[in-house]
Amino acid sequence: MKIFFFAGKGGVGKSTTAAAAARQLAQKARVLIVSLDPAHNLGDIFGVQATGGKDRLTDSLFLQEVDLHKLSREYLRKEITTLTSTYSYLKTLNLDSYFSTLKYSPGIEEYALLSSIAGTINNETSFDYIIFDTPPTGLTLRFLALPRISMTWIDRLIDIRRRILEKRYTIHRIKGPISSEETVLAYEEKDDDILRRLWTLKETYQDLDTRLRGNDCHVVVVFNPDMLSCRESERLIDGLEELGLPLRLLIDNKVRTEHIDQAQTVEAKMQARAPGVELRRIGLNPNLEDMGNKAGMDDLGERILPEDW
Amino acid sequence: MPPRIFQAVREMLKGIDAAHREQAASLTEVECRELENIFALLVVGSFVGLPAPPSFLAVELLPYMDRELELLQCRARDSGDMLAELCGTLGID
Repeated sequence: MKIFFFAGKGGVGKSTTAAAAARQLAQKARVLIVSLDPAHNLGDIFGVQATGGKDRLTDSLFLQEVDLHKLSREYLRKEITTLTSTYSYLKTLNLDSYFSTLKYSPGIEEYALLSSIAGTINNETSFDYIIFDTPPTGLTLRFLALPRISMTWIDRLIDIRRRILEKRYTIHRIKGPISSEETVLAYEEKDDDILRRLWTLKETYQDLDTRLRGNDCHVVVVFNPDMLSCRESERLIDGLEELGLPLRLLIDNKVRTEHIDQAQTVEAKMQARAPGVELRRIGLNPNLEDMGNKAGMDDLGERILPEDW
Repeated sequence: MPPRIFQAVREMLKGIDAAHREQAASLTEVECRELENIFALLVVGSFVGLPAPPSFLAVELLPYMDRELELLQCRARDSGDMLAELCGTLGID
């Protein structure tokens, strides 16, 4: 299965190019296109009313618009239920409801996004291609960075946890068997709930990180021939490089014939920032403004994707 | 030796052994408690303004951390009298 992320500044045409690429690939394989952008417009581009679930567009093309707010709420509801049952004594004091404050924590939306991506990659194995239409740059970089940031934290916490267990083992060896009234603290790695949870989390993030940095993952950066879009795309490319994510294609989108000079300047800057990455220039096609224009989409699809993809 | 005296001597030796073991383990126990305190502080550090892991990581671990949170609370309570704490740890009366 190949995974594509279409990323770039808001309004550059990520969704349109992602949709065109999906239509193109669906001619030879099963494709799922997923919109992660809170301001969804893939449904409009395909001329359908998305339900939030998996909508079948053709025999081989499916669309899903992810409801981020719903995902965040579901995640929080699950965690709040776990916390409330763990600290159940708080119910007697009517303090359990205060856990609902967690919904104001920063980072929940990014986590919900990442969970959605991980869930899609792991569950939708019947598809040959999964195309993600991403939210604007800042949020995209933040959720793509989450697996690595989390793994760094998890590694440090595992390290401390192991040292705690070593100390407990030493104490256990010195003191010998304890009396029945004393609580036995776990001193072996397999018996420590926290360490076990950390291992599980690490495994999950490692899997996802390997998938995202692997050969089957392709990040496509879409930009327009203007300096604002160029600057933001440069920051995006730097961010991708820092995270070790595979940038495979640059698309200079909506290029007007009268702005070829500016397009060349911007393209030169982008290629200097990402040497060796293939670049495609796509002219402005006014027909695409007509929603659901299939011929226009097919023409665009043919021009943006390299043949061997 | 009459059995009662033998029993008393055995109990005394067991007591001495336990005391020695307790003394030998006490410093490691302090070290272990401090590590647990650091662990809790790192996970829930955002409460006191420390840089914290992504909040979902803290939320994932919180259900298993009742002991660590208790320790964290004890350390915060005792932090007003660190000298007494240190003397206690080193066995100075």
